[in-house]
Amino acid sequence: MSYARGILHPMNDLPLDQRLEILADSAKYDVSCSSSGSDRNEVPGGLGSAAPSGICHTWTADGRCISLFKILLTNACIYDCAYCINRRSNDIRRAALTPDEVVRLTADFYRRNYIEGLFLSTGVVRSPDHTMEQLIAVARRLREEERFNGYIHLKVVPGADPQLVEAVGRYADRVSINIELPSRQSLYLLAPDKPRDAVIKPMRQLSGLIESAREERRKSRRAPQFAPAGQSTQLIVGATPESDREIITLSEGLYQRLGMKRVYYSAFIPVASDNRLPALAGPPLLREHRLYQADWLLRFYGFSAHELLDECRPNLDQRFDPKTCWAMRHLHLFPVEVNRADYEVLLRVPGIGVRSAQRIVQARRHTRLGEAELKRLGVVLKRARWFLTAGGRSLAGKTLDEAQLAAVLLTPNRQKARAAQLELFPALADSSAMTGEL
Amino acid sequence: MTIIRYDGSFEGFLCATAPTIDGAEPAGFLRGEGGDGGLFDEVVAMASDRDVALAFYERIVREVSRDAFATARHAFHSEAGGVELLLLRYLSLGFRVGRRLEGMRADPLVQPVQQLARRVEREVHRFLGFVRFREVEWSGSDSLFYAPIEPETDVLPFLAPHFADRLADRPWVIHDLRRGQALFCEGGRVKLLRGVELAGVPSSTKDEDVCAALWQGYFKRLAIEARRNPGLQRQLVPLRYRKHLTEFGS
Repeated sequence: MSYARGILHPMNDLPLDQRLEILADSAKYDVSCSSSGSDRNEVPGGLGSAAPSGICHTWTADGRCISLFKILLTNACIYDCAYCINRRSNDIRRAALTPDEVVRLTADFYRRNYIEGLFLSTGVVRSPDHTMEQLIAVARRLREEERFNGYIHLKVVPGADPQLVEAVGRYADRVSINIELPSRQSLYLLAPDKPRDAVIKPMRQLSGLIESAREERRKSRRAPQFAPAGQSTQLIVGATPESDREIITLSEGLYQRLGMKRVYYSAFIPVASDNRLPALAGPPLLREHRLYQADWLLRFYGFSAHELLDECRPNLDQRFDPKTCWAMRHLHLFPVEVNRADYEVLLRVPGIGVRSAQRIVQARRHTRLGEAELKRLGVVLKRARWFLTAGGRSLAGKTLDEAQLAAVLLTPNRQKARAAQLELFPALADSSAMTGEL
Repeated sequence: MTIIRYDGSFEGFLCATAPTIDGAEPAGFLRGEGGDGGLFDEVVAMASDRDVALAFYERIVREVSRDAFATARHAFHSEAGGVELLLLRYLSLGFRVGRRLEGMRADPLVQPVQQLARRVEREVHRFLGFVRFREVEWSGSDSLFYAPIEPETDVLPFLAPHFADRLADRPWVIHDLRRGQALFCEGGRVKLLRGVELAGVPSSTKDEDVCAALWQGYFKRLAIEARRNPGLQRQLVPLRYRKHLTEFGS
């Protein structure tokens, strides 16, 4: 821990429980919560496994899932990024954990089934390379000395040496480096210590290493793993003036060109006063929710960014989810016949989610589907019936134009969502509370 | 009208169903010792026999599909009223249509069974996350990790492989308080014990209290105040599950 002593306030000699809470306070704004994407079997004499689908262990008072022990090695930092709680000029308590403490806590929490594994990040201390070495050392101890076989998510420090970036992937299931802001200018304005290239270069390197490791493993099961759960990143929403269109277009590029596994969107929460940042009344939660819905459409529903947003429409509609908006702008393509339409077309029907579409395609091989069958299959007929026919007969009974449809679809649920941001997540049978999957 | 009495276990159900499935449908099933048929019902008791159950399992996998068996097994553990008759009809249909059974998702004989199976699958997945062990004093050589649960459906058999793989190095127990059953794992091998009752309250080790307190403090601090949403938290962690979750304890 000597590396930290030079920088840290004497308060660092606090007992473990207080340091843990200080660091939890500092770690919580990195919103990634996934423990999925890695299939590790148990190792004889070792501890643990990783479940491919990921497991949520609990949820905090803000409704976010905990599946990993998310913590910072230290919240001391030499940088001064405007949006970050740990910025060097922010007057908060600083603390650190020893590598031994991190390993012990991870193993103890894991054994009690509180967590699937570790999510380790840190403030930057002395230099990016030095910091990166500290993180790698903890992961290596967990894997090799503790024989820990659960999930590890490691952050990559912007500007770290490529050899260190390569070492990270050997121990971690998932790696991430946060873009934080959607444009080069914004990043330059708010985080001049982290130029865009210092972020993009390791991202590209990781993308290449992940892909080639996958290729090698396809040929031989004995080829080494490299971050098998892939790479993710995070964007802060609402701190800078970029439109939803710029954000979603950036995400699309990350998914398509860098093979990014997930992009996380975090509603901006003022954590320090700074005149470079907007003074918002509260975090833009609805906007964040719509961005997640748009993100899901890119990844699972075959939409492209420019179908959802363009120059005339640079921001997502507050009243409706993006898929419904798209359908209302393309009423000439509907209704579609549920017994014959392609899977890709069914996905575009509001009220039909991925699982319902899959079930429809399976079920219709054996029987003709009508309203009763669709209800049994989990289709949200309240919305879908305006866009479907079954056996040639419209399920809606009448045709509506865009304005009438908007009035009908604007249910009381959604009006409440506009007024008070509490019921953002209607409990639909097939809908994910985290993502609002449609 | 025939009513079939069986011991209430899935194995017992397979034994009870195997001989009758190709013949006339019974009026109903009775579990365990209690209950009587109606005035005109004849109650037939079917004994549980490992070999009969195994043979029936093989027949289902061969003539229908492995997925259908898994669905049936999950649905059974939902303990829904009348599930035995539902399953009997489902399997009967399966023997008629073969591999296609699971694909017939809209069929009124298939869909309710799949729905019950999904209910159990969801609760199993939930408990993979919600099981909380605590280290307790024990007479054995290692310490024992003990986890009480109170699930709505009978998830215990489905939790066994996951935890046996993951926590093979120390003995542990998952105790279904509602059904008086427990999984006991030692040396990587799991046993399902029935008729289990606590002789006294297990006492936590000193390390356990420290660890639990660290987790509780950490858990509270991890919430972002500006995004506080207790309604959403209640949806995701319903109050009935919180009794045995360390982070919601004091």
